[in-house]
Amino acid sequence: MTKPIRLALAALLLPAAVMAGAAATSPVYKLRHDNFEAMGRAMKGTFDEFKKATPSIPVIQANANALAAAAVKVKGHFPKGTGPRPGVKTEALPAIWERPADFAAAADRLVGATRGLQAAAATGDLARIQPAAGAVGGSCKNCHDTFRKPKS
Amino acid sequence: MTASSSATTPAGTPVRLWDLPVRLVHWSFVVGIGLLWWSAENHRMDLHFKVGLVMLGLVLFRLLWGLVGSSTARFTSFVKGPAAIRAYVAGQKAGTAAHVVGHNPLGALSVLALIGVLALQIGLGLFAQDTDAVNSGPLNFLVSYDLAKEISEIHEAVFNVILGLVGLHLAAILYYRFIKRDNLVSPMLTGRRVFAEAVATPRIGPLWLALVCAVVATALAVWVSWGLPPFATPFPWDRPAAAAAVPPPSSYM
Repeated sequence: MTKPIRLALAALLLPAAVMAGAAATSPVYKLRHDNFEAMGRAMKGTFDEFKKATPSIPVIQANANALAAAAVKVKGHFPKGTGPRPGVKTEALPAIWERPADFAAAADRLVGATRGLQAAAATGDLARIQPAAGAVGGSCKNCHDTFRKPKS
Repeated sequence: MTASSSATTPAGTPVRLWDLPVRLVHWSFVVGIGLLWWSAENHRMDLHFKVGLVMLGLVLFRLLWGLVGSSTARFTSFVKGPAAIRAYVAGQKAGTAAHVVGHNPLGALSVLALIGVLALQIGLGLFAQDTDAVNSGPLNFLVSYDLAKEISEIHEAVFNVILGLVGLHLAAILYYRFIKRDNLVSPMLTGRRVFAEAVATPRIGPLWLALVCAVVATALAVWVSWGLPPFATPFPWDRPAAAAAVPPPSSYM
């Protein structure tokens, strides 16, 4: 290989190498991002049904299950050293690692709320499901207010 | 009802060019685009939704008024084909073209582009959502999270198209003002302008017809903002009481 070609190849591969390096050091950034997105998807799926002329209880139940499955993972998705740092895109605030007991309590509240929604969804009674879904939303906000970067 | 109606206005006499509805809609667009930009940048989504709804009504009104309104507001009177546009541009270069009362064939493209991109942007906004999918447009519940995410990204990108078209619009106004010595802003404020030659008098649509269009446009916009009841969702007054007791997700995210 001539020198210019080698240089061009290096320039092409460098960003990929940097990205691969970042991913190798902390796959948890993407894991937790995807987990929160799954919760957002399930929350939308739940609240969309409330708006529809004929809400589907099975759809709500599936979303409640997805929320509960994602909620239990949250606490383990923030190991030490995975906070905000240069070159990493994250909305996690340092408060997560500075106040671990408070963060754990907030994550537990989410788990409890999603189990409550699962139980309400199992009854098939919208009058029970809607306040339970509201409680899940409240537990999202409870954590976001303290531990997530405000939207700038 | 074309510009070739029988009545003419002699040179030097002010012509009623832009009717009140056209001017109100035009300046409301200016304020509305500014407010929509500001509210989106500052996460004032409550305001963004209200102004978006008003803009939806304004665009619907302008489309209706473009069918039944004053001659200078009607699409059929100012939208021309490529041949007419080329002939107009050639006439301008040669200095032989007669004054156009209303939108000229080239400017008509700008009108169509601006109204079209506003309609597109409002349409996308109806389905858009924020990262938590809790601040969402009134029709967001009809599409999946992933489709709404794509729509939201396009909604953001289309704003740059709007900025570009507004920039072009302003550049054209400055070109007319300083190169062609033609003030386009004051007729859009007063509705009147003087021509150096006798011109066909535009036919101004009656105000009662504008009010009918405004009522129809408002009703359509409100209906959309309610989520297209009764097909997709119940009317607000038909919703179960429990739904009202639960705070909307936007209040706790």
